[in-house]
Amino acid sequence: MFPEEVLEHVFSFLNSHTDRNTASLVCKSWYEMERWCRKRVFIGNCYAVNPRVVIRRFPEVKSVELKGKPHFADFNLVPEGWGGYVYPWIVEIARAYPWLEEIRLKRMVVTDECLEIVAKSFRNFRVLVLESCEGFSTDGLAAVAANCRNLRVLDLRECEVEELSGHWLSHFPDSFTSLESLNMACLGSEVSFSALERLVARSPNLKTLRLNRTVPIEKLSTLLQRAPQLVDFGTGAYSAEIRQDVYSRLADAFSRSKNLKSLSGFWDVTPAYLPAIYSVCSQLTSLNLSYAATRSPDLTKIVSQCYNLQRLVVLDYIEDTGLNTVSMSCKDLRELVVFPSDPFVGEVDVLLTEQGLVSVSQGCSKLQSVLYFCHQMSNSALISISKNRPNLTCFRLCIIEPRVPDYVTHEPLDVGFGSIVENCKQLTRLSMSGLLTDRVFEYIGTHAKNLDMLSIAFAGDSDLGLHHVLSGCDSLRKLEIRDCPFGDKALLANASKLEKMRSLWMSSCLVSFGACKLLGQKMPGLNVEVIDERENVNSLPEYVPVEKVYIYRTVSGQRFDTPDFVRIMGKDKDDLYNLS
Amino acid sequence: MDVTLGLLPDSPAGDDGGGVPSGGSTTVKSILTKEDNNKNNMVMCSEVSSSYPVGDQNLGDLELGLGLSIGGGGGGGLKGKVVAGGGGWSQYARILTAKDFKQNSCSSSSCSVSIPNSATDSVSPTNGNSVVGWPPVSKAHRMPSLANENKSPTGNRISVTEQTKSKNRTVVINDYSNEKARISDKKYRSVKVNMDGSLIGRKVDLNAHTSYEMLAQTLEEMFFRRRSSTEAAKSSRLLDGTSEFVLTYEDKDGDCMLVGDVPWQMFLSSVKRLRIMKNSESNELAPRFQESHERRRTDVV
Repeated sequence: MFPEEVLEHVFSFLNSHTDRNTASLVCKSWYEMERWCRKRVFIGNCYAVNPRVVIRRFPEVKSVELKGKPHFADFNLVPEGWGGYVYPWIVEIARAYPWLEEIRLKRMVVTDECLEIVAKSFRNFRVLVLESCEGFSTDGLAAVAANCRNLRVLDLRECEVEELSGHWLSHFPDSFTSLESLNMACLGSEVSFSALERLVARSPNLKTLRLNRTVPIEKLSTLLQRAPQLVDFGTGAYSAEIRQDVYSRLADAFSRSKNLKSLSGFWDVTPAYLPAIYSVCSQLTSLNLSYAATRSPDLTKIVSQCYNLQRLVVLDYIEDTGLNTVSMSCKDLRELVVFPSDPFVGEVDVLLTEQGLVSVSQGCSKLQSVLYFCHQMSNSALISISKNRPNLTCFRLCIIEPRVPDYVTHEPLDVGFGSIVENCKQLTRLSMSGLLTDRVFEYIGTHAKNLDMLSIAFAGDSDLGLHHVLSGCDSLRKLEIRDCPFGDKALLANASKLEKMRSLWMSSCLVSFGACKLLGQKMPGLNVEVIDERENVNSLPEYVPVEKVYIYRTVSGQRFDTPDFVRIMGKDKDDLYNLS
Repeated sequence: MDVTLGLLPDSPAGDDGGGVPSGGSTTVKSILTKEDNNKNNMVMCSEVSSSYPVGDQNLGDLELGLGLSIGGGGGGGLKGKVVAGGGGWSQYARILTAKDFKQNSCSSSSCSVSIPNSATDSVSPTNGNSVVGWPPVSKAHRMPSLANENKSPTGNRISVTEQTKSKNRTVVINDYSNEKARISDKKYRSVKVNMDGSLIGRKVDLNAHTSYEMLAQTLEEMFFRRRSSTEAAKSSRLLDGTSEFVLTYEDKDGDCMLVGDVPWQMFLSSVKRLRIMKNSESNELAPRFQESHERRRTDVV
């Protein structure tokens, strides 16, 4: 038996949540020890547990991370008003953790009132990261700016913010000098440039600065000069009439930014200004040009100089030729993301095909993570990719037209994706598209033993497909499905599996109201939420499929903040007495 | 936390009446066969332990229960029992063969099963219809292309009014024309709406509406939960003064104004947030209230 101090010291080396969770299961004394020294809490589903329960177990927390809406909310599949309100959490943690330093939220509804509480409750508050959140305005930001005297990080990633004014930035007091990271890229309103410049000038530790679109290109050099220590820089709109003096100043400022490793922004790019960044290309480990609507030659010229690039996010304007250059020049590449420039256009005038991905998989031996949008794919390409890169951990392929077969053989893409899961044994995340039958799910169930998250759309033939996945994928925690002919049988047969997962989303499938009710009745550890906006939903018979169902494990029982289009099935007292 | 299921009222302790679980903790193989179109028997074996060797035989008739487990994987897990489940789960707890799954199967190229809100047709944009949320690109990464900047919006994009009609809810989904409007200088037009007496504020996208009537109907659905289509035909109660609430807004100057006085476009350009105010409080409105009370009857779009 080790004395507590030794155990505590040992635990301080355990940083991952899973390690800590495992350690706490060893024995009662380890549980007790661990809970008193846990500083960071991560809750992957805000409805899986009650804030009070968390607080009771972990009294000394300094950092809280919460996630709210299901992932498909990013694609507008979760109607507004569904939930994910952080307010109840904020109220409790404000009371319980006066020394809290960090809050990280993803896909949650955050109101100005929440931000005001945060601003006023935590004396040593340091880090606020809001990713894909909504519900607040620039007033809330102003409250944070004005009151969080020790703030280090204010990171707004892809949030929907009500823009009341740009003055929020001016609320940082003159005495405020601790800023290390500011990401305001998602905001639309113009901030006072002089306030911004003064803020940058008095923040010697500023490492990350991601501007929003309204900061003009002429002003960039001023900011870069004020912050030569910057590591991560996001420009504003990168466009203007080409003026030699502006260009020279900008190029000069970039060349002096010796610490710059990451670039992003580049809205509305004027291609003639792109060469200004050439001097830093070889330093870059991360480059996001996904807002740069410029053609392949410009993009290729840039990436050809990025010898140390590890992460590239780009539009399909890069085309196969550009990706070929990537495969030859960016030998350290770990992550590739290619977004579609115009997802809805029928005529494909961008020359990006499966070949681009194949060449990157050939040339970039460290490639682990792929998100790729394209218009065509073949089994042979997928097989090549899987053989080139067995070290893939995340493979997300979106062929823009649903149910499109192998463009060469016209067969389903089962074999191709099967090869991916068979060869890439460390694969933890997979998204599939194209024409897929139940067979691909058989492959997945057989081989994808490390798969943690799976996204399926417009695929499969029958319940057998879903059954393969639920019964075979031992590590599966998140499953999201849309528009597949999966129904009650597979779901009910694998009900116990659902308690081992964080969540299951099924929309536009064949799961009936009756099955949802039964599942909710039988599984007290699950919330079975039927999300259905049809007007006559209360009069539909039980065999009718629901529009959407979201099932997640929880220890806090059903929630009471649901809108009228969400029903938590099988939890009414009447239902419980009606077990058939 | 140890979750015990105790599903069936008549199952004694120790008897996993629900049959063998199909999750990763079982010690019995679950074996399903499937006959594909070419009549090649494919035996899919999801092996979870090596207790039972697998032959090449067609094991489609093996009596394996694939029901629910008892306990969170612990509690003796699996006793290797081959049980036909009893009680209410019998229909699910018995063997599942390919026959069970065949009912919903369809040919791979087209699915004739009716799936709610699914696109069973091709989603080629030339159809004039986009599918909600497809392709899966988040709002932040949807952007106008170079190629399209000079084109006028085609029938590719669902108009927002169509979307609103089909769903009775205001959600801006896949509305590319809105995206372009946003890029071309018009700011994101979602405003906060608070109702007196209600704790949770909502947001409404003004760009998704074309008239006061439409906006009021949306708000009534949001806050008063009125959804029947018969009531939709009547004019909005919020606007005509028959409700106990009135609809007001805060304009650029911070003044509280009654909604409906000015032309719609002018309203759009000056509104900052909306408030559904109790009628009793409406005396605090800007003095125009009395004279505009008469004007509200007319159509202000």
